[in-house]
Amino acid sequence: MSRWSYFAKRLVLSVPVLLFGTSLVFIIIRLGPIDPVSAILGQNPDPRAYNNIAVQLGLQTPGGEPVPIWRQYIDYMTDLLTFDLGQSWVIKPSTGVYSIIASRAPQTIWLGFWSVLIALFIGIPLGFYAGLNPNTWSDYTASFGGIVWRAMPNFWLAVILVSVLSQSENFLFGFDWQSFVTETNVVTSPSLGFLTDPGQFVANPGPTFEEFVAATKQILPAALVLGSASMGNEMRIGRTAVLETINSDYVETAKAKGLPPRSIVWKHVFRNALIPLVPIITAEAFVLIGGSVLVETVFAINGIGKLFYEAILNGDIPLVGSLTFFFIILTLSLNILQDFLYTVIDPRVGYESD
Amino acid sequence: MSRATATEDVPLSQRIAESPRPALLWVLVLAALVAVEFGALATALLDVLATLLDEAPLGDPGVGGLEAAANAATELPTLLSREVIPNQGYRTSANGPWTGTFLGLEPKHAWLLRVTLVYAYAFAFLGWLLYGYQVFRKHYRYADWTPRDDILARLRTHRWGQFGLVVVVSFFVLAIFAPALGPTTVEQNIQDPYSNEIQYFDEDTGSVTTVLVGQANIQSASDGAGASNVQPWEYDDFGRFHPFGTLPTPGKDLFTFIAAGSRISLFIALTAISLASIIAAGFGLLTAYYKGLADLAVVVTSDSVQSVPPLILLLLVAVAFRGHWLQTIYNGALLIALAFAFTYWPALWRAVRGPAFQIAEREWIDAARSYGQRPRATMRKHMLPYIAGYLIIYASLSIGGIIIATAALAFLGLGITAPTPEWGRAIDMGQRLVATDAGHVSLIPGILIVLVVTGFNALGDGVRDALDPQSEASGGSGDEIAAASGGGG
Repeated sequence: MSRWSYFAKRLVLSVPVLLFGTSLVFIIIRLGPIDPVSAILGQNPDPRAYNNIAVQLGLQTPGGEPVPIWRQYIDYMTDLLTFDLGQSWVIKPSTGVYSIIASRAPQTIWLGFWSVLIALFIGIPLGFYAGLNPNTWSDYTASFGGIVWRAMPNFWLAVILVSVLSQSENFLFGFDWQSFVTETNVVTSPSLGFLTDPGQFVANPGPTFEEFVAATKQILPAALVLGSASMGNEMRIGRTAVLETINSDYVETAKAKGLPPRSIVWKHVFRNALIPLVPIITAEAFVLIGGSVLVETVFAINGIGKLFYEAILNGDIPLVGSLTFFFIILTLSLNILQDFLYTVIDPRVGYESD
Repeated sequence: MSRATATEDVPLSQRIAESPRPALLWVLVLAALVAVEFGALATALLDVLATLLDEAPLGDPGVGGLEAAANAATELPTLLSREVIPNQGYRTSANGPWTGTFLGLEPKHAWLLRVTLVYAYAFAFLGWLLYGYQVFRKHYRYADWTPRDDILARLRTHRWGQFGLVVVVSFFVLAIFAPALGPTTVEQNIQDPYSNEIQYFDEDTGSVTTVLVGQANIQSASDGAGASNVQPWEYDDFGRFHPFGTLPTPGKDLFTFIAAGSRISLFIALTAISLASIIAAGFGLLTAYYKGLADLAVVVTSDSVQSVPPLILLLLVAVAFRGHWLQTIYNGALLIALAFAFTYWPALWRAVRGPAFQIAEREWIDAARSYGQRPRATMRKHMLPYIAGYLIIYASLSIGGIIIATAALAFLGLGITAPTPEWGRAIDMGQRLVATDAGHVSLIPGILIVLVVTGFNALGDGVRDALDPQSEASGGSGDEIAAASGGGG
């Protein structure tokens, strides 16, 4: 099988996966024990309001007859697959899911962007460093630190970090995080006007740049927490990958023909060691989706994760369903991106027995 | 392994009958170990039976009889119990001797003695198991050497794996012996603090006074501000010792809370991972044996399950089943365990799929097929033993993730319902207190989670290296991802 037909096969496979995943959500929220209408209205609902919402959700006909479940399923699937995500009922009544996501997404994207970046720029260099100096004290320190760092629950790390940074002058030898560079709070949502309107950087550089710095500073602790697990993973895999490539024959050959060590490391070791890191970096994105619920809740960042949690707590089941569909789409796109990267980077893809 | 050629194949019972001494000694040690804990063992067994019968709609007399028997069993002597080595007592005068504690020891020392004994007992039991294997190997096994000996020998030099084993065993002991380990009981301190009383020496009146546990708890709560914080390894004003300090108002004992919470975490983790392993093994065998369409169907199914981020799926299930009868079994632990099994099997199946495919290509599978062996027998006898090792490795690597995610759910206020202890809820309670005098409320459960998860990961590493020494050389980058990480929560 050639590389591209392998990629095409993966692409085609994602269609039934999307259908099945969405059906799974339908099964849980429509066939499960929860009644979406009661969840929205709370206890002792007014029967007229109940019927009204049940009709709008497609659970009842206007005549008061319950809609058969297969009919509900078809409606539900066609709505979602034609990207009609419906509206919110409790969190922001009568607001379209699209506009809610649009208003919340920048926060999550900003958080995700920094957590990937931090993990990449700390995890991989540390791992490569440990791999290039195996079985030294710095290797042991880095490896052990990585193992423990990775095992820390995100929500716990977030709680600790919030407390330490809120009173950093007591813990970090007089270093005051909140007034460092610009004055910010630890538990707050960054203001991200510049993301939606990048033209401000040119039109109004001074304040916009300040806003950018403040937003970056506010997101850093949360991003560090969210990226912690991936950072540990990247470090471990990076170390193993470097160790493996450094002992391989072509590196030996390069050494034998007198290539300078610097060029061996950069040209032959690093580039090959990056291959096993691709799935780690994309897998990180899955962690980001789930982890953002916890981290955004602790740091009070008004992103999509916190939105999902609020919707769950307040019984906004239609919004929960739409958001889950949104997450599924996101996950699948990332899967496809991963397969694409693999296909481009590694010429052996599709030739190995899968 | 122990079976040799047909000519000298005598059953194990006969071999033992020929030289009974080592086996007898081994059984005697077991008898001694059981005897000291007989009461606890009998109570636990009868309790489980009664609960099972209670669930099944059987006649009342059976259940009633069992419950009576369980109550009677609590009267049986148990060495490592809080009745034999009590640590709750009071002073009769200021700085006077203690009454009610074991040998009049200080509560701290009485508690320490009990904990030490429990752990010594548990590790003695572990040693007994190992001793049994050695007795079998030395006296009753035909073969001088089997691959299993090498696995043990490799574990014996694997310090990292041993560290994991010790941590994991300690966690198991904490969960199994939770009622005996806590300085007080869940019933007295957490569930019904206002139906129980304790006595203490009141320095103001200079006499021994009786107080409701609930009131004493409130006055020794760790709320950060104020002077009442009871930090780890301290006594409160009522002469009660708190190894891990107390929780915020209403001031329950943190150690008792954590010990009880570890039980529920362990139950969820073990149930979930066993179910997931069974599903993964079943699908692994089926897809490797039949290939083609069967494989494709499972690929699509597992990808679909994995397309929903695990924590999102868990939250969805937790809210969808709120108030459902499934949620009432063991405070919702069973429901969560089922949800975890559902989210974790695809990863486990992915882990065994490759090895299972390789095994299915071997000649002996082909031979079995052409010999006319039924597919089920072939899978069970000739394929399962080869993939079991991989399953064990991946299961122990992913168990930590389940523990973290359970805590994360409790932290978010979903999952295990209050007042049943769960580690994540303690972290939530102490969320705003980390930087105060009550920092222990969040710090201790968190550190314990990190320790337990690291322990399971280390044990998984050790088992992997012991089962498959080549895995290190051939680069197991795949299974390093499998190791549990805090990302799940």
